[in-house]
Amino acid sequence: MPRRTFAFFVAPSLIIMLALMTLPLLASVVLGMHYITFRNLDAPLWVGWQNYEQALADREFWDSLEFTLVFIAATVPTRIVLGLIFALLLDQIKRFRGAFIAAALVPFVMTPVVGTLIFRDMFDRGGPYWYWMQQLFDYRLFMDSTTVPLLIIFHNIWTATPFAMIVLFAGLQTLPQESLEAAKVDGASWLRQLWHVAIPHLRSLFVFIALISIMDAYRVFDSVFVLTQQNSIYDAETIMYYNFQVALTFGRLGKANAMSVLTVIGIFVVLIPFLVMTYREQVEEV
Amino acid sequence: MTQTRNPLARAGIYAVLVLFTIYNVLPFCWTILNSLKLPKDANSRTPRFIFQPTGEHYADLWLNMRPEDFAPYGLALLLVVFALVVIVFYANRLPAPNALIYAGVAVAGLALLLGLPRVVNTAEFYDYLVNSVIVTLGTLLISLSFGALAGYGLARYRHVISVVILVLALAFRSLPSLALVLPFYYLGQLSGLYDTHILLILCLVAVNQPFTIWMLRSFFMEIPREIEEAAMIDGAGRLRSFVSVIVPIMGPGIITTGLFTLLLAYNDFLLARILTQINWTLPVGIAQWTGGEDPGHITLAAAGSVSVTLPILVVIIFFQKYLIRGLASGAVKG
Repeated sequence: MPRRTFAFFVAPSLIIMLALMTLPLLASVVLGMHYITFRNLDAPLWVGWQNYEQALADREFWDSLEFTLVFIAATVPTRIVLGLIFALLLDQIKRFRGAFIAAALVPFVMTPVVGTLIFRDMFDRGGPYWYWMQQLFDYRLFMDSTTVPLLIIFHNIWTATPFAMIVLFAGLQTLPQESLEAAKVDGASWLRQLWHVAIPHLRSLFVFIALISIMDAYRVFDSVFVLTQQNSIYDAETIMYYNFQVALTFGRLGKANAMSVLTVIGIFVVLIPFLVMTYREQVEEV
Repeated sequence: MTQTRNPLARAGIYAVLVLFTIYNVLPFCWTILNSLKLPKDANSRTPRFIFQPTGEHYADLWLNMRPEDFAPYGLALLLVVFALVVIVFYANRLPAPNALIYAGVAVAGLALLLGLPRVVNTAEFYDYLVNSVIVTLGTLLISLSFGALAGYGLARYRHVISVVILVLALAFRSLPSLALVLPFYYLGQLSGLYDTHILLILCLVAVNQPFTIWMLRSFFMEIPREIEEAAMIDGAGRLRSFVSVIVPIMGPGIITTGLFTLLLAYNDFLLARILTQINWTLPVGIAQWTGGEDPGHITLAAAGSVSVTLPILVVIIFFQKYLIRGLASGAVKG
């Protein structure tokens, strides 16, 4: 394909990405250097690096970052392990496979706001899970600063496990047949097949799921919005949610922009190795 | 891998999978029940699975008029929708080309959606649905057409610059959308575009574009070059051969990518919450019940939740195999 044709094909998409992603990002950096509230939208006040300094000195900013990291550490490995377990179970059966997968899609595709609302109702007073916990373990669940963060984590595992399960199940269907046959001829047990054939084959998928999951977990917002009921007594603010609050609840638009620039820097630092890896992989194919 | 033959183990596997399925769908089933309960049943301290059902919450949610008055219109609406479904189903046997029939049905459906409030006194929730449909369709249209062009270009032009663009797109994919939407909010306020569909659509297209081009590119890579080269030898230009030869065989790839775009646009809450004030979409409309302590809210929120979820579930179950194929291809990397 000649260069000019290539430019013609790629231009609309590239322009929209540059204009609607790069420019806003640069605008964020600049807006972050202004004092802006709803009252002086058209006359922002230049304050230099002050917002950035304030954000870095803000205790709640660091608390929300801490909860976000706890959230990532708790959800990402869990969904991969659970996803693998259920993928292996699905691999063991033939009948009703499609039905089990279809049912698993329900929490995955459901609008997150709705899904969280539904999930909360199950644990609220009078909901089935609340009632069964009370009957079976004599435990009365009460929404407080311990349970709400746990529910946010649990909800994420509920919605994200099916994604990992389907990806890994598809991976299990493409195992290299020769090595599998060789292992079977040698009388290798299921566990040895798993350890020596399946897990190495799935390695790139684990990386892929981890990458997507970290990106998505870092910016979790909807479930926090619903489960905390926009109430700060639960100590369950994630970094995106706190950033949102600074912007719309407290009306500090300049500081909120500075914070989002800091969060972007944060995720890029984590992702640079992945980006370099992808670049190397793709350049080899050219 | 080896499947176990031990009947006890097999029964155990099925039992675990059945429990997993209950865990996946029970919350939604519970919400369907809640949406049909009288407030006294919904607020009971012990979960009630048997009760006197009522449809009043759905009527409250959708209508500003008595359900009895709506009944004749509702019946007519059902008949028209049924007729449209039948037409789509038997499109192959009708004398007109399929594409024309689908386009006609789509236009008729859209006209029905937009025209209904002129005949029937609908409630606010109906406006959220209209907004959601407009925003979702707009995003799909722009996102897929730009994405298909770029995905094709990137699949065919083997050069370092293609890789640079792809990696750049991957970096964009990781951006927290708040970093983009706050400047949009600010500029929208200044330019008067705040609270319009177009601003929200553009923002969603931008957020979605990296994923779209990655996924479509991987589908284009599977199509052998010889196909369009043959068309070009016959005298068709690049764009002609792309539109008339490549796009038609890309059907499954475009449907798969379209499904993920649809989920993103329809399910989005954060962007719509920030960029709209009155022109809410469905998720923003639902979120108004998240903080409510009013006992009537449980049933209304349940009816709203079911109303928002059912359309997307129908679409997903209908196109299930495309969605699973998309997840399976690992092309979701973008």
